Amino acid sequence: MNKKTVCFRDVAKKEDKPLACLNAQNLIPLDALKETPSLQPPPDKWLETYDFSLDGFSNFDRPKPNTAQEREKFVQGFITGMKKLLDSQSNWTFFKALKLSMDYCMNCQTCSEACHVYLSSGKQEIYRPTFRSEVFRRIYRKLFTPSGKWLGSLAGADIDLNFQTVWRLLEMSYRCNICRRCATVCPVGIDNSLIAREIRKLFSQELGVAPAELLNKGTRKHLETGSSTGMTPAGFKSSIEFIEEIIEEKTGRKIKVPVDKKGADILLIHNAGEFISWPENPAAFSILFDAAGIDYTLSSDLVGYDAVKYGVWFDDIELARVALQHIEIAKKLAVKKIVVAECGHAHKAICVTADRVMPGERTLSDMPRESCLSLMHDIVKSGVIRLDPSRNDFHVTLHDPCNVTRMMGIVRPQREIIRHVCKRPLQEMIPHGVENYCCGGGGGFAVMDTLNFSEWRNNIPARMKIKQCIDVFQDILDPDIRKYVIAPCSNCKGALRDAINNYHLKDDLGIHYTGLADVIVNAMVDLPEPYLEWDPEF
Amino acid sequence: MAFQWFSIGFAWASIIVFIAVAAYKFFRIASMPLNLRWEVYPVPHETGEKHKHGGSYMEEVDWVKKARPASKIAELREMGAEIFFLKRVRKHNPHRIWPYSMAMHWGLYLLLGWIVLLAAAIWIPVLAVVALVIGVASFLLGMTGSAGLILKRANKKDLNLYSTPLDYFNLGFLLAIFAAGFASLVVDPGFFGHLAYIRSLITFKPSPVPYAVTCTFFLLQAFIIYMPFSKLIHYIMKHFTFTGTLWDDAFNVRGSGKSRRIERQLSYPKNWDAPHFSADKTWKEDVQPASVEQEKNE
Repeated sequence: MNKKTVCFRDVAKKEDKPLACLNAQNLIPLDALKETPSLQPPPDKWLETYDFSLDGFSNFDRPKPNTAQEREKFVQGFITGMKKLLDSQSNWTFFKALKLSMDYCMNCQTCSEACHVYLSSGKQEIYRPTFRSEVFRRIYRKLFTPSGKWLGSLAGADIDLNFQTVWRLLEMSYRCNICRRCATVCPVGIDNSLIAREIRKLFSQELGVAPAELLNKGTRKHLETGSSTGMTPAGFKSSIEFIEEIIEEKTGRKIKVPVDKKGADILLIHNAGEFISWPENPAAFSILFDAAGIDYTLSSDLVGYDAVKYGVWFDDIELARVALQHIEIAKKLAVKKIVVAECGHAHKAICVTADRVMPGERTLSDMPRESCLSLMHDIVKSGVIRLDPSRNDFHVTLHDPCNVTRMMGIVRPQREIIRHVCKRPLQEMIPHGVENYCCGGGGGFAVMDTLNFSEWRNNIPARMKIKQCIDVFQDILDPDIRKYVIAPCSNCKGALRDAINNYHLKDDLGIHYTGLADVIVNAMVDLPEPYLEWDPEF
Repeated sequence: MAFQWFSIGFAWASIIVFIAVAAYKFFRIASMPLNLRWEVYPVPHETGEKHKHGGSYMEEVDWVKKARPASKIAELREMGAEIFFLKRVRKHNPHRIWPYSMAMHWGLYLLLGWIVLLAAAIWIPVLAVVALVIGVASFLLGMTGSAGLILKRANKKDLNLYSTPLDYFNLGFLLAIFAAGFASLVVDPGFFGHLAYIRSLITFKPSPVPYAVTCTFFLLQAFIIYMPFSKLIHYIMKHFTFTGTLWDDAFNVRGSGKSRRIERQLSYPKNWDAPHFSADKTWKEDVQPASVEQEKNE
C-alpha cells in the first residue's frame, strides 16, 4: 500500500481530510502475532464535531470552531504564545535550548530512524522527528527572522498560517513521546523532542489547551484534590489500610505502613496510580523497607502522596508548582531526603528538570532527591534480607524507562538487582539501556485516553516495544512458558498493560509485566507464598 | 591598484566581521538565562564503568554527599570524534551522507591548514610543497563532498523535502570556493601568485596576482563574512548544545553562582495568559506553595 507524500504546505490545507492515512499494512510487522489491534477511522458523529485532520486520531474532545472569528482568535493566541516562547524572560526555563534547536538544525535527517514512532508507523512523514519541528521553524522564520521576512520561501519560510496549520501542529506535538532518543544521535546536539515539548507548552501556558488528562484532570486535579487520580488525603489513608491488608494476606505479616512520620530518614513518594492499579507494588516497597529496617515515611498531605509531575511534559509552571509542594512537604516532615518510587517521569522531574526552579533553600544540596532503584540495589546487595533467586524461576527481560535511563543515567542498579534476585539470566532487549525504545506511553500518552487516542498509542508508539518484547523471547514464545517484562515505572506499566492486553501477549505468548520491587519481594526467603501472581486479583 | 587595495581591505574586513559576529553570537547565547537541566545520557564526562554503560552519579545512594569525578578529556574526545569524524552521522544517518559530509568538512579543515601553510611559506619556502599537497587534497575533497551533498539533497526524497534553496546555496557556495581553489592551483602551481597575495595582505603592499587566485580568496572571504549569519556556524554552537545543555548535569547547590542566577530568573515576570495562571506575579510568587508565603508572613 503506497503512502501519500506529504509536504509542508499540506499542513495548511483547509480540509477535514487527514493529512496522513494510517494503514495496518504499512506498520512494522509483528509476525509472531495472529492479530493486532484494529486501526479504524473515527465514527462519523465524531468527525462532525471534532478535528481529526492530522492523521484521523485525536485526544482533544474540543469542538471545532464554528466561526472565522473563533479560528482567528486561536491563531492569534498561538502567535502571541510563540512570541513569549521566543522571549528570554518569558521562557527563561528553556529559551536557550529551544533557540539553538530552532536555528541550527542542518536537516541531515540523522535523527529520523532513532524515532520509534516514525519507524513503527512504517515511516509516515508526519511522524518524522524533524517534520513537526520544520513546520514550527517555517512559521518561526516567516514571522520572526530577518531571513524569513526578506527571502520568504528561499529561506524556507513558506507555510501559510491558518487555523488548520495551528491545530495540526498542536496534534503533531502529541505524536512525540519526548523520549529524546533523537537528541542522542544528532551531530549538532539539536533536540527535536524539546521542540515538541515547547509547542505543547505554548498551547498550555498561553491558551490553556492541553489534553484533559494532563491539565484539567492532571496537574489541576493534583494540586486541588491531592492527586491526578482524584484520590483525596482521606482516600489515600484508606488505600494504606488496604495495602496493609494485602501485606497481611500475602505474607502473614502485620506491617504498619508509616505515614506522616516526622524526622524519618526518607520521604517515599509513589505514583498514586500504583495504589489504584497495582497496590501490590507499594505493598512490596513496604515489605522490603520494613525487612531492611529503612526509616521512611509516606505523606498524607495534599499532593504529597502522588509523585507525578505531568507538567514536565507540557507546562513548566505546573511542573514547578507540584515539585515545590513535594519539597515543602519533605521539609515539613523534616526528612533527610526524598526517594521517588517506581515512576520514571517523577524521577526525572524532581531529581533533574525541576532542580533549577527551586529557590536557594530548596536546592538538591538542601533536600536531596534520589531514585528508589539505587536504594533497592543497596538493600539487595547488603545481604540484610535473605533472597533466593530460585523463587523467581521465570524468563525475564527489563524495560528501561526513558526518564530513568536516558534522562538520568540510572542504568546499572536495576540490572544488578535482577541478576541478584532472578534465577535465569536477564535477557536484554535490543537496544537497551540508554539506547532503549520508549514503551509508547511516554510524554503523557500512557494516561491519555480521550476519543480514539489510545487506539493510536497501541498501534503506533507502543508497537516497537511490543516487537522488542516478542523478539527478546523469540525462542520461547510458547504461552506455557512464563516470561516477565520488568518495568520499574508506573506509566510504562500502564502502557505495557494496555499494549499486552491489546496484542494478547499474555494469553498467546506467555508474556506478562511487573514492577521491580514485586520481583525482589518474591525472592524473599521467609515469605510463605510466592508474592508475584500470574493472574493477580487486584 | 585600487582593486588590489580593495582586495586587501576586503580580506581583513572579512576576518574582522567574522570574529565580531561570531563573538557577538557566542556571548549573546552565553548570557541567555540558565536553562533548566535537560541532559541526556550517555554524558561523556562520566568516568570508569559509568562511562561505559552511559551511567551517571545518580546511580549511587547519597550522591549529593559523594565525589563526582568527571573527565574533561573524555568530553573533549567525544566532541573531537564528532567534529573530526562525524561520529553520529556515520553511525546513524540512513542516507549514507557520511562520506560526502566527511569530505566536505575535511576539505574545509584542510583549506584552513592550506592558508596557514601559505602564510608560513613566506618565511619557510619549503612549506610551499606541503601546502601544494594540502591544497590539492582540500579542493578535491571539498568539491567531492559539496557536490555529493548537493546531489544527495536533490535526489533523496527524504532530504529534498527538508532542503530550502538556501541550503543548496550554502553547499553551492562551498563548491564554488573549492572549485576556484583548484583552478587557482592549476593556474599557479608554483604558488608565486598565492604567496604574493598573502604577502600583500600581511605587509599591506599591493601586488598583482593571477585572476584565479584573487577569485578564490574573494569567494573565501565572502564566505567568511556570510558564515556567522547563517546556520553554517553550527560548529561553534555545539559548545552550547552539547556541553551547555545535553551534557550539563551540574546540580543546584545553595549559594553557588548557578543558584544565584536561578534566584534572579525566578524573579522574572510570568506573563503567560492561560486561565490556570495568576496574573501579574513573578515566577517565584506563582509557583511557591501557599505554606511558604504563610511562613514568610509569620
